Amino acid sequence: MHEISLVRNIFRTLESNFSFEELEKINAIDLKVGLLSNVEPMLMQSAFEAVVSAEGKFQNTKLNILLVPILVHCTTCDQTSEIKEYNFVCTVCGKPNNNVVQGTELLIERVHFN
Amino acid sequence: MQIVRTSKNMRGSVQCDNTTMHLLQANDFVADAIRQEVRKRNILLINIVSSAGSGKTTLLQETAKRLKDKLNIKVLVGDLETERDAARIRQAGIDALQIVTGGICHLEAQMIWQAMQKLNLDNTDMLIIENVGNLVCPASFDLGEDYRVTLIATTEGDDKPKKYPRMFLTSELMLVSKADLLPYLPFSVEAVVKDAREINPTIEYLTVSSTSGQGLDEWCNWLLEKVKEKKETTQEKELVVS
Ligand SMILES: Nc1nc2c(ncn2[C@@H]2O[C@H](COP(=O)(O)OP(=O)(O)OP(=O)(O)O)[C@@H](O)[C@H]2O)c(=O)[nH]1
Ligand SMILES: [Mg+2]
Ligand SMILES: [Zn+2]
Repeated sequence: MHEISLVRNIFRTLESNFSFEELEKINAIDLKVGLLSNVEPMLMQSAFEAVVSAEGKFQNTKLNILLVPILVHCTTCDQTSEIKEYNFVCTVCGKPNNNVVQGTELLIERVHFN
Repeated sequence: MQIVRTSKNMRGSVQCDNTTMHLLQANDFVADAIRQEVRKRNILLINIVSSAGSGKTTLLQETAKRLKDKLNIKVLVGDLETERDAARIRQAGIDALQIVTGGICHLEAQMIWQAMQKLNLDNTDMLIIENVGNLVCPASFDLGEDYRVTLIATTEGDDKPKKYPRMFLTSELMLVSKADLLPYLPFSVEAVVKDAREINPTIEYLTVSSTSGQGLDEWCNWLLEKVKEKKETTQEKELVVS
């Protein structure tokens, strides 16, 4: 995967949204990662550490990865069900369903300041 | 950006707006621009993905032979380091441009946009992208394509869909390639279709071989049909507008 470039993306996104003083105060970033985003949390953590030590930015910032499961919504039953083992079916009616409403996320959910 | 600022001096935590802090936002923005551009120009855009060596370039060579007199086709080929695939496709008689990613494991919309500026797209019916051989990363990058086609070779084993669910979830067509080798391999087309459809119930499939020619007419007809559909829908929109 391309975790290193994703970490650079996180930094760029923050830098374009916060002032220099605000950036200095960021002590944690909550990253929301869907199970379908193809991001491996362990690799993401080590990529984060690698970029921090290479670029010297965000030295006092922690990366929290929030993994979220895959959810599909069935219009027939108006129910949302969680997908297990990539078996894309509605657990209520058992019909095949790939109307994914959660699971592809790759975004900064929250930024913590001290 | 929509950030709920609790005070002028940031303290505590701030909730971010989902769409603006999306990490692949830049890619998706360019992908939309590509979508608009190909719609305006009436071009069908196809993104072909697979693991390394599943037979993408060979299939495009065979496709070129069969369709070059019927359609005006252009190809963009992504490769980590070499220029070889574009040369192979040009030999088969269609215009191809190589995008050397220099080690990046997927194509991004920005690379496609830049390459499109170098192609003469006048009167082009179809632009085909051969992505970098990799079933993981290219799945996350929208290139503005109308259809995503995934190749899975009989030599790879029939358990691929569940290992790379996002790719199968986002593809409209699965091509089981190197079908000429089926008699010699423990590969079940039925099993791979079943697995793929557990992920994506609407995925279509074709069994093809670039060596024996099996399924290539169906594949070419599928492309011709999609080119026709695209031109029709664009024309309908023009009628509505005028
Ligand atoms: N038996 C058989 N071999 C094939 C077929 N199609 C391709 N091959 C062989 O598979 C190998 C890889 O084919 P390519 O077309 O280069 O595969 P690719 O997907 O473009 O590879 P990358 O671009 O490196 O990911 C070559 O040695 C081809 O000759 C086929 O239908 N049957
Ligand atoms: Mg190739
Ligand atoms: Zn249901």
